[in-house]
Amino acid sequence: MSTPPIQMRAVDKSFGSVKALDQLDLEVAEGQITGFLGPNGAGKSTTIRVLLGLLRADAGSATVLGMDPWRDAVEAHRRLAYVPGDVALWPNLTGGEAIDLLNRLRDTVDERRKDELIERFELDPTKKARTYSKGNRQKVALVSALAADVDLLVLDEPTSGLDPLMESVFTECVREARDRGTSVLLSSHILAEVEKLCDTVTIIRRGRAVESGTLADLRQLTRSTVVMEVDGDASPLAHRKGVHGLTQDGERITFQVDHDQWDPVMREVAALGVRSLVSNPPSLEELFMRHYGEDISHRPEGATV
Amino acid sequence: MNSFAGTGTLTRFALRRDRLRLTIWALALTGTTAATVPALDQVFTSEADRAARAALMRTPTGVIFGGPGYGLEDYTLGPMVVNELLMSLLIALAVMNILGAVRHTRAEEETGRAELLRAGVTGRRAAGTAAMVVAVVSNAIIGALTAAVLVGSGLPAADSIAIGAGILLTGLTFAALAAACAQVVSHARTAIGLGMVGLGVIFMIRVIGDIAEQGGSALSWASPMAWVFQTRAYVDLRWWPLLLYVPAVLALTAITSALATRRDLGAGLVPPRAGRATAGRFLSGPLGLHLRLQRGSLITWTVATVALGVAFGSLADQLAVFLEESPEMIQYIGADPTALTDSFFAAMMQYVAMLAGAATILSVLRLRAEESAGRAEVVLATATSRVRWMGGAMLTALLIAVVTMLAGGLSMGAAADAVLEDTSYTGVLTLSALNMVVVPVLFGAVAALCYGLDQRLLPLLWLWFVASILITIFGPILDLPAWSLNISALEHPAFHPAEESVITPLAIMGGAAIVAALGALAAYRRRDLVTG
Ligand SMILES: Nc1ncnc2c1ncn2[C@@H]1O[C@H](COP(=O)(O)OP(=O)(O)OP(=O)(O)O)[C@@H](O)[C@H]1O
Ligand SMILES: [Mg+2]
Repeated sequence: MSTPPIQMRAVDKSFGSVKALDQLDLEVAEGQITGFLGPNGAGKSTTIRVLLGLLRADAGSATVLGMDPWRDAVEAHRRLAYVPGDVALWPNLTGGEAIDLLNRLRDTVDERRKDELIERFELDPTKKARTYSKGNRQKVALVSALAADVDLLVLDEPTSGLDPLMESVFTECVREARDRGTSVLLSSHILAEVEKLCDTVTIIRRGRAVESGTLADLRQLTRSTVVMEVDGDASPLAHRKGVHGLTQDGERITFQVDHDQWDPVMREVAALGVRSLVSNPPSLEELFMRHYGEDISHRPEGATV
Repeated sequence: MNSFAGTGTLTRFALRRDRLRLTIWALALTGTTAATVPALDQVFTSEADRAARAALMRTPTGVIFGGPGYGLEDYTLGPMVVNELLMSLLIALAVMNILGAVRHTRAEEETGRAELLRAGVTGRRAAGTAAMVVAVVSNAIIGALTAAVLVGSGLPAADSIAIGAGILLTGLTFAALAAACAQVVSHARTAIGLGMVGLGVIFMIRVIGDIAEQGGSALSWASPMAWVFQTRAYVDLRWWPLLLYVPAVLALTAITSALATRRDLGAGLVPPRAGRATAGRFLSGPLGLHLRLQRGSLITWTVATVALGVAFGSLADQLAVFLEESPEMIQYIGADPTALTDSFFAAMMQYVAMLAGAATILSVLRLRAEESAGRAEVVLATATSRVRWMGGAMLTALLIAVVTMLAGGLSMGAAADAVLEDTSYTGVLTLSALNMVVVPVLFGAVAALCYGLDQRLLPLLWLWFVASILITIFGPILDLPAWSLNISALEHPAFHPAEESVITPLAIMGGAAIVAALGALAAYRRRDLVTG
C-alpha cells in the first residue's frame, strides 16, 4: 500500500476553548504495532475518535486505510476494529450477544477464532453485560475486535481493567494479529506493555506529538546511566561535557551520559582505572519522565502515567 | 459504619445538582396556579356560566380531571380551584417526585457515581434518606408557594394551607413510592416505569371511586390522590384526611429502608439470569438492536395506553346513565346524548395521544442515552453509518407511536362496546386513534431533530410538549385566544369522533414530521459525537 494505514498531518481539534489536538502528526506503518503514549488529557482518545470519524478535525489532514475518516467512515470501518478504553455494553444483552452483534455490524468475523478467544480470555458469554466487571466488559470488546478479520486494530488503553494473566494473553493475541499482517495503534499508560509490544512509539503531550520513532531511535535521543567503581578520582568528570548528575557513594560513582559523548567520556574514564562498570540504556519510563516531568511531577506513581 | 452517615453531604449535593430543575418545576406549577385562578374568576362570571360548568364537572369527564366534586352546588372560586386545577397539579407533582426519587437513588447507582460515594463515608441508607429529604424540601416549597398564591387571590387562608399541605404530602407519598420501586428493580428506567404504573393505579382508583358517587365512594379512600380532596377545602374544611398520608409515607419508607439494607449496591431484588451465548438472527443490525433494547418499553407503554383506553371506554355507560338522571344537563351541553359521548371520547383520545407522545419522545431520546453511555461510539466505529443507527431508532419510535396510539383507541372502543352492548365504537375509535397518530409522530420527529442538531436544544422540545398538554387541558378553562391554541400539536387534528376527520392538518403535520426526520438525519451526520 502506498499510504500507511494511519496518517495524520497537522491535525487540530478544539472543544470550545480547550485545544485538544494541536498540529498533531501521527503515523502507523503497515504491519507494525505503534504505541501511543501520553499523560491523562494529552489527547489520545480524541485522536482516536477523529480517526474513527466520531469527531471531525478542525484542520489538517488524516487518512485511515487510505480513506477520509469522516467522509468514508463506513467503508474504513469495514476494515478496522476498535476497542475503547472504557467499554460500555448494553446491560440487557449477554456478552456473547454483544460480541456477535458487533461482529455482524462489522461484517468480518472468523467464528473459529472467536470461540478460541472466548476460551483464552476465560470469558463467560452467557452473563448479562450488567453483571460484568470492567475487565470482563473489556474482554468482550477485545474478543470481538480480535476475532474480526481486519487490516487495522485501534486500541485505546485496552488493558486498563485486565489482570496480569489476561494482559499476557492480550499481548500474545496482539502479536498474533501483527503476524497476520494487521497494523495496530495501541494507546496505553502501561510502559512495560508498550516496551514489550510496540515497534514504534509516538509520545503526545498537550495535543502535540513530541517524539516519535522506534524505541531504539528514541533511546538515542537521551542518556544512559552509568554505574562504576574506579581507582582514581572521578570528580573532574562532573564538569565534563555530556556528563550529568554525577554522584559518589563510597566507591560507587553514578552519572548519566549523553549518547553522542560516549566515546570521549569513556576514554577519560578508562584513564582512571576501572574496576567495574555497568551501563543501562534509558527505560521508556525515563524517556517519558523527561518529556512529562513537569506534568506529572506532582504524582507519586511514575510507571503508570 | 452508621447506615445514615453522610446523609447531610448527599442532601446538599443533590439539592445543588437539582436547583435549576427544582426552580423550573416550582415556577411551572405555581405559575400555572397563579395564571389559572384569576382566569377562572373571569371566564365564569355569571351565575348561569358557573352552574353550567358545575354540571359539566359532574360528568365522568369532569370527574376524571376534576375530583369528587365538592362545592359544585355553589360553584364559587374556591371549589373551582379544587375541581378545575388541583388534579392536574397533583399529577404533575407525582411525575416530578417519581423522576426525582429515582434520579437520586437508582440512577446514581447505575452510573456508578454512588459507588464512589458509598466507598467514602456514606451509609447504606444515606442515599435513600437524602432523596427523601430533597423531596420534603421541594414539595414543601411548592406546597407553600401554592398556598401563598391561593391566599393572595383572596381565598380563605386555612383552606389554602390545607391544599398546600395536601400538595406536600401527596408529593412525598409518590417520592416514597418511587424510592421503594427503585429498590426492587435494578434499572432507573424500569423503576420510573414502575412508579408511573403506581401513579396510574392510584389515579384510576380515585376516578372509579369518585365516579360511583359524588363526594367519593369507599373505593376512593383507597387512593392517596383522594385524601387531599376529602379535606373539602373551601366547602367545609376538615383536616383529618391529611393524617392518612402519614402512615402511607412511613410504611413506604420502612419498606424501602428494609430493602436497601438487604441488597447489594447496584443489584435489584430480582436476580439476573444467565442468557444465551450467541446472538439470535434478529440481533444483526441497528434496527434489530433498537427493537431489542426497547421491547420492554414498547410492551409497558402499550399496556399503559390499553389500561387508559379500557378505563375511559368503560365509562361510556356512566355517561348514558348520567344523562338519563339529569335531563336538565341537556340544556347546558346540547340536546344530543351521542354528541356528549363522542366529545368525551375525542377528549380522551387526546389523553391517549399525550401518553403516546411521551412514549415516542422517550423512545427517540434513547439515542441520547446510548451516546452518553459510549455505546453509540462502539456501534458507529463499526461499518454502521449514522443514518442507519439513527434511522433504526426513529423507526422504532414510529412503531411505538403507532402501536400505543392504536392500542389506546382499539381498547377504548372495545371497552365502550362492551359496556354499551354496541358494536360500532371499536371501529370508530380506531379511526379516532389513526386521526391522532400524527401527533406523537410529530413530537418524536421534532425530538429527533433537536437531538440531531444539538442535544442542548432538547429542553425546547419538552417545553413544546408540556405547553401542548397544558394548553389542551386548560385552554378551554382559560379561554385562551385561538392563536395560542394552535401552539398545541394536540389541537390540530379534528376532534374525532365528535367532528369529521379532516385531511389537511394531518397532511401538513405528517409532512412536517417527515421534513423534521430528514433534517434530523442530515444534522446528525454532520455533528461531532458527544464523548466522555
Ligand atoms: N467532548 C469533550 N468536550 C470538551 N473537552 C473534551 C472533550 N473530550 C476531550 N476533551 C478535552 O480534550 C483533552 C484531551 O482529552 P482526551 O480524552 O483525548 O485525553 P486522553 O489522552 O485520552 O486522556 P486519558 O489518558 O485520560 O484517557 C482533555 O483536556 C479533555 O478535557
Ligand atoms: Mg483516553
